[in-house]
Amino acid sequence: METIKNYLESMFADLPNTAAVLKAKQELYSMMEDKYTELKEEGKADNEAIGIVISEFGNLDELAETLGIAHAMEQTDTTDRHFVSIQEAEQYMADMAKHHFLIGLGVLLCVISPVGPILGDVFSKAGGAWAIAFFFLSVAAGVGLMVYSSSCMKMWSFLKKFPCSIDYKTAERIYTEQEYHRTDSAMQLTLGIILCVVSVVPAAVMGTLAKNLYLAESIGPAMMFLCVGIGVMLIIVSSGRSSAAKTLLSLNNEETVSGNYESTVTGSEPRFTSANVKGFMNVYWKTVSSIYLIWSFLTFDWGRTWIIWPLAGIAKCVIESIYGKGKEGERHE
Amino acid sequence: MAGNISSDVIRGYNDTMILFLLLDAPSYGYEISKQIRALTEEKYLIKETTLYSAFTRLEKNGYITSFSREAENGKKRTYYEITQYGKSYYREKCEEWQLTKDVIERFVKDL
Repeated sequence: METIKNYLESMFADLPNTAAVLKAKQELYSMMEDKYTELKEEGKADNEAIGIVISEFGNLDELAETLGIAHAMEQTDTTDRHFVSIQEAEQYMADMAKHHFLIGLGVLLCVISPVGPILGDVFSKAGGAWAIAFFFLSVAAGVGLMVYSSSCMKMWSFLKKFPCSIDYKTAERIYTEQEYHRTDSAMQLTLGIILCVVSVVPAAVMGTLAKNLYLAESIGPAMMFLCVGIGVMLIIVSSGRSSAAKTLLSLNNEETVSGNYESTVTGSEPRFTSANVKGFMNVYWKTVSSIYLIWSFLTFDWGRTWIIWPLAGIAKCVIESIYGKGKEGERHE
Repeated sequence: MAGNISSDVIRGYNDTMILFLLLDAPSYGYEISKQIRALTEEKYLIKETTLYSAFTRLEKNGYITSFSREAENGKKRTYYEITQYGKSYYREKCEEWQLTKDVIERFVKDL
């Protein structure tokens, strides 16, 4: 049945994404499924059943008139699109996961660089040199990692520069892959945000409890940097695969059936009428996180800045309900 | 086999076959194509695309209506039902065929 589904999707790939076309695809699929099931029940081999179903499918030209796509049939997407194979797609997702890990590590190293000077001051006077060395080495290693990883990702820049396409099978594979890692990503994101939010706790607790002034003024802040560093790293790592999946799934021409495989696979997904809004939503949580961190570090008013999270959550719902469009009407009434 | 019938000739009569099969009770895509194959003793196989385009055309002209119904196995199918208007169109098509047959038969002989 998988083969039949892929066959049908490839036949429809370049057709415009309209309600009539989607309904036709759905109805044809239903008929093919019925036929396939019956042939199998008659004891036909899988290959034979698939062969019969596909050979008796007919020709989409016959539907051109009824679907109002005669025009579209003649001038289908003529741009020469680079076809991204399923292996390439998997490789890209793995590379993006690695890329996000390295960038996260780089950010972590940069964020914890002040830990050297903070602790160095405390433990010994001679520690000063080591502290400075730690600071610069950490920043250098961090920046180095980011530069290295970004240059490694150059090989994939064609995905954004040139028109590319994927087929239904690949889209489905990408989605399964993403779904498989969904819990992990959600955990990483949550943990990352929690770490950022509670980063101030060690410093606060030690500030009030510790009798030793050194401890309060060094370990506390050092731990805060460490918490924030790990938190930010987790947030960055969590988005690796899903951003790769988003890039891949948006390769196909949006106005055609193939441009909407994601909604075919998942059933529904809020899509955004305005391209600007859609682009904005892609970076929404990253923007919110940045605002949160910048605001917090500038004011050190951690007791108040957390309010940005619930507010951002509500704002997201509002934006989605205004600009999001659900499934295109009731298709199979 | 289907290959023996010119699709241009039979196209005008797909509607007749479909409406005939809907006269007694509503039915759905695969069921109709199966009945056509059985009734014609496999002399005519209607392609899925042909059948679907016929459905949409008939529905657009008001000869049939469609509704969704869940089958025994839980699968949702689109069923088609003939309308009064469809029935009178069917009678017209039958008369047309009688006439066509009568005309063409006068020009058919064994060689």
